[in-house]
Amino acid sequence: MRLDPLRLGLLAVLFAVLFLPIVAVGLNAFAVEWAGSVLPVGYTWGWFAQMVADPRFGQAVGNSLILALGSLLASSLTCVPAILAAHCYYPKLDRLLGGLVVLPYAVPGIVMALGLLRLYAGNYGIVLTGSPWLLIFGYIPLGASLYYMPMKSSLNALAVQDLLEAGYLLGVGDLKLQWRVILPCVRQGVVIGLILNFTLVISEFVYANLLVGGLFPTMQILMYVLRGGSGHLLSVLIMVYFVIVLIATTLVSLIVMRRKEAL
Amino acid sequence: MTKNHWMILALAPLFAVLLLFEVLPLLAVVLSSFSRGGSWSLGNYGELIASGYHRNAYVTSAWLSVLTTVIGMGFALPICRLLQRVPSGLQTMILTYSNIGANFTGFPLAFAFIIMFGLSGSFTLLLKAAGWIEDLNIYSIGGLVLVYSYFQICLGILVIFPSLSAITVEIEEAARLLGVSRVTFWRRIGLPILAPSLIGAAVLLFANAMGTYATAFALAGGNAALVTIHIGELVAGDVFSDPNLADALSMILVVTLVVPILVEQLWFKRRGRHAA
Repeated sequence: MRLDPLRLGLLAVLFAVLFLPIVAVGLNAFAVEWAGSVLPVGYTWGWFAQMVADPRFGQAVGNSLILALGSLLASSLTCVPAILAAHCYYPKLDRLLGGLVVLPYAVPGIVMALGLLRLYAGNYGIVLTGSPWLLIFGYIPLGASLYYMPMKSSLNALAVQDLLEAGYLLGVGDLKLQWRVILPCVRQGVVIGLILNFTLVISEFVYANLLVGGLFPTMQILMYVLRGGSGHLLSVLIMVYFVIVLIATTLVSLIVMRRKEAL
Repeated sequence: MTKNHWMILALAPLFAVLLLFEVLPLLAVVLSSFSRGGSWSLGNYGELIASGYHRNAYVTSAWLSVLTTVIGMGFALPICRLLQRVPSGLQTMILTYSNIGANFTGFPLAFAFIIMFGLSGSFTLLLKAAGWIEDLNIYSIGGLVLVYSYFQICLGILVIFPSLSAITVEIEEAARLLGVSRVTFWRRIGLPILAPSLIGAAVLLFANAMGTYATAFALAGGNAALVTIHIGELVAGDVFSDPNLADALSMILVVTLVVPILVEQLWFKRRGRHAA
């Protein structure tokens, strides 16, 4: 069943509407002046240059990238081995893990942030607030499902027990089997998890604002700071953020397509 | 599979992190919601129930979430049906970009809507010139409905699309050969097949809207009468700081979100068993 031109047109219009907010921010980032008219009066690179020259911009982008890198390292090193081990050797713990990783979908970010504040703001003698480390560890439970879902869908399609038995018969140990056989089979799931986790970290505002705030300003925090100004600088920052997310998303898209072809 | 008990070491770090940064923080909120002035009490809950200010926020959050869930599902389902007929490469691309839309929240999204629908936004001017509206306040609840609808539709597309594969071309053609009309097809075949996934999607969208903080905060600041905004104000606000009350309000919010999820899970498990 192919699409007739009418439906194709409808779909095109719908997606044009979904892209409108991004177009609006893009226009505003380059608009000389945009108030009281439908389209901007003129276009300039001036706001862009002004934003890039601002020391807060470099600091925020740098902090966001440092945070993303640290977070990716910490989350992949904790999640990937655990998901593999739970699936292959501990089905009961796997069910528990499945429940724990989806918990953040039922518990809003503001509530989780509140809990972290209760625990790590000194009430129990531990002070982690104000430090990016709290974000790095706090983002692991939020990102765990992003590794869990794609890895599980790869693992479920795999005859893991047969592969392990075959390996044992050949006298190969578990570690080597995981590293050389199972992990390569779920590689794409891991990469998808990494990229989605990256998007999560650089988009996150609630934890960043409530737990750390101005002590380690990220791009989202700088957006908060810039909200009262002319709006052009904020638009430039949002566009920079958006281009970063777009690149990450395009990578996911390419990987998913390759995965479909491989199947 | 008995000899490899040291494999538990691979699980330990993640479970430790989940305990320290997910389970214990939540427990801390639960415990402290029952504490008032240093002793155990239900006083926080009593105060919330008695307070028209917080009750009002809860009601506003609830209907905003229900409304934008209906809008999200109402747009996403037909869009997904159209998407089913698009070549698979384009499909993947569109789905991935819906992922951007669903993640495009907080300041970026709020500000984009301010540019378009703010006091002198392009669309405000166009709509006024066309005489369709007299006034538009993006910072109001109506503005929140508009902005929430955006990410709800995107999230709806993401979660509904995979489940549509259950309605195969074969089923549709078989029904058509038997002379079943479109309406009857959806009423008797399509919707019953999709019901579990659609209800699951609706529950997720509802939770998503109900828990949204950053977008509402970016748009309406601390003034919006929403549960999440009130929690934020009680934690970090200058005027109304009362941490224990914030915990109790959080618990009410979490229970509101967990109950539909549990009901949905139990309901379909029972039905599944009957069917089997």
